[in-house]
Amino acid sequence: MSATPNVPNVDAGASSAENETLEDRLYTVRYDDPGESHLDVKVPGICAEGCTTYDCIDVCPANVWREGDDGVPNIAYENCLECGSCRWACPKGNVDWTYPTRGAGVSYKKG
Amino acid sequence: MTDDADADAKGRREPMRDPSYDGAFDAIVVGAGLAGSAAAVTMADEGLDVLVIERGRYPGAKNVFGGVLYTPTLRELVDVTSAPVERYVAEKRFSMLSDDDETAVSLRPGEWHDPPHNDSYTVLRGEFDRWFAEQAVDAGAVLLTETTVTGLVREDDGRIAGVETDRPDGTITADYVVLAEGGNSLVSEGADLRKPERAENVAVGVKEVLEFPERDEVIRDRFRLSNDAGASYHYFGEGAVGDAVGGGFIYTNEDTVSVGLAYRISDAAGSQPKPEQTLNAFKSHPSVAPLLRGARTVEYGAKTIPEGGSESIPKLVHDGAVVVGDAAGLVLNNGVHLEGTNMAVESGHLGGEAIAEAAERGRTDEAAFKSYPERLEASFVVQNLERYGWLMERVEADRDLIFEELPHALADAGAEYFRMDREPKEKHAEEARERLFETVGGLRGAAKLAYRYREVLR
Repeated sequence: MSATPNVPNVDAGASSAENETLEDRLYTVRYDDPGESHLDVKVPGICAEGCTTYDCIDVCPANVWREGDDGVPNIAYENCLECGSCRWACPKGNVDWTYPTRGAGVSYKKG
Repeated sequence: MTDDADADAKGRREPMRDPSYDGAFDAIVVGAGLAGSAAAVTMADEGLDVLVIERGRYPGAKNVFGGVLYTPTLRELVDVTSAPVERYVAEKRFSMLSDDDETAVSLRPGEWHDPPHNDSYTVLRGEFDRWFAEQAVDAGAVLLTETTVTGLVREDDGRIAGVETDRPDGTITADYVVLAEGGNSLVSEGADLRKPERAENVAVGVKEVLEFPERDEVIRDRFRLSNDAGASYHYFGEGAVGDAVGGGFIYTNEDTVSVGLAYRISDAAGSQPKPEQTLNAFKSHPSVAPLLRGARTVEYGAKTIPEGGSESIPKLVHDGAVVVGDAAGLVLNNGVHLEGTNMAVESGHLGGEAIAEAAERGRTDEAAFKSYPERLEASFVVQNLERYGWLMERVEADRDLIFEELPHALADAGAEYFRMDREPKEKHAEEARERLFETVGGLRGAAKLAYRYREVLR
């Protein structure tokens, strides 16, 4: 269930700072899948009909929130770094956020 | 307890062999971060039976911060000689970035090299928080990890009398609860102990820990450091965080550097690139990139920072409970001072002390904890927050000037002042002055600007 962290390779001789892809960045933290999403939208209809800005997508540092076909964002919860930004970003207060249970979710070694 | 075997099969530590925690403790601390462990140490030292509940796999597993730990209260509480710190802060550097300019001021007071090093150390929370929680355990507290508090237990009269958890026998009652759950304070909000904060008052922060695989001396050489001295670089302006109100940072650890930035969530929408892209741009700035050349990412993290100041501090005491640390919004960011760790430890300590005093008298009502808000208000924590309460509003009003126009103007004026050609210096000085005055509105404008922000340095 747990992903083993993988240190991405970057050319050590590069002439300036190299920025890894988000995927490689997310590989640097351990993740234990709680089995179900700790994130949801409270009322899908609010996203579908009442939202034009999708601030959840703009604020998320881990590409958890993604555009969905029906106007309701798709949630890639297993990317989540548990910062909580989406909770405040949503102008409708429509983000349902619970802590992942029993030690699951992200684990930082450095922090 | 059917899931114990399952948990063991996954190789996790299973701390709860004996489920009889219910009612076995005087106090429960929600969260083994800095505020929680400070409260736990304080109460355990006073002879209370303390249970610390941490939702991560170990203390620190869920914790991210920028990088500097301030230790004046901490070293009064515990023996810090064995604490896992990275480097002491020997330099503070403040830098304004336009898209391609940098104008910086650096301070390296000699006295910062002498212990206790102005009580400022870079640390990594994954290591430090584990160590601090161990100090609480050494003092007699019991630490329960991989356990999420999902709600509070209330008596009929509303008094908080314990916590609900995701354990099989989930309810754990105790006379006292310390809410030290951090800025994403779902338990406090769920129990109506505080209202959700506005997006203007919360910042999103992203950070990378970078290592330099090429050679060992890179950090010392690039940041001009000797032995275990370290540097704290702060960056403002559009080169740091684009159009948002916020800033970037680089902190040197022992073998790594922490690079990151934070800006207000209300600025994250619209034309502002996503946090990760904003970080990429900052790391690629011509004045920043050479510091990070050849580095690779060891860890990427994100967190939210409560920045509402003194007006956002919720009610700190309730019948049966106190709220401490980030959960109480105790973070100071006035641009020059970025503090939270010291305020977390101070508030955790004062909260724990108030509970110990109430326990002495056999009381659990909120009035019995009133020494906590009183001492916090008299302490540097609230004093500092109140002192800079005016700042964020003013910065918001002047945001274009401060974050975009001024970095450009300073760089242009500097380039003009030191221009090397065959014109006399008088002309260069005049043009430099003009370039600055054009941005701030002449001498009067400059004086007004200095006056508006005089309290920052007063």
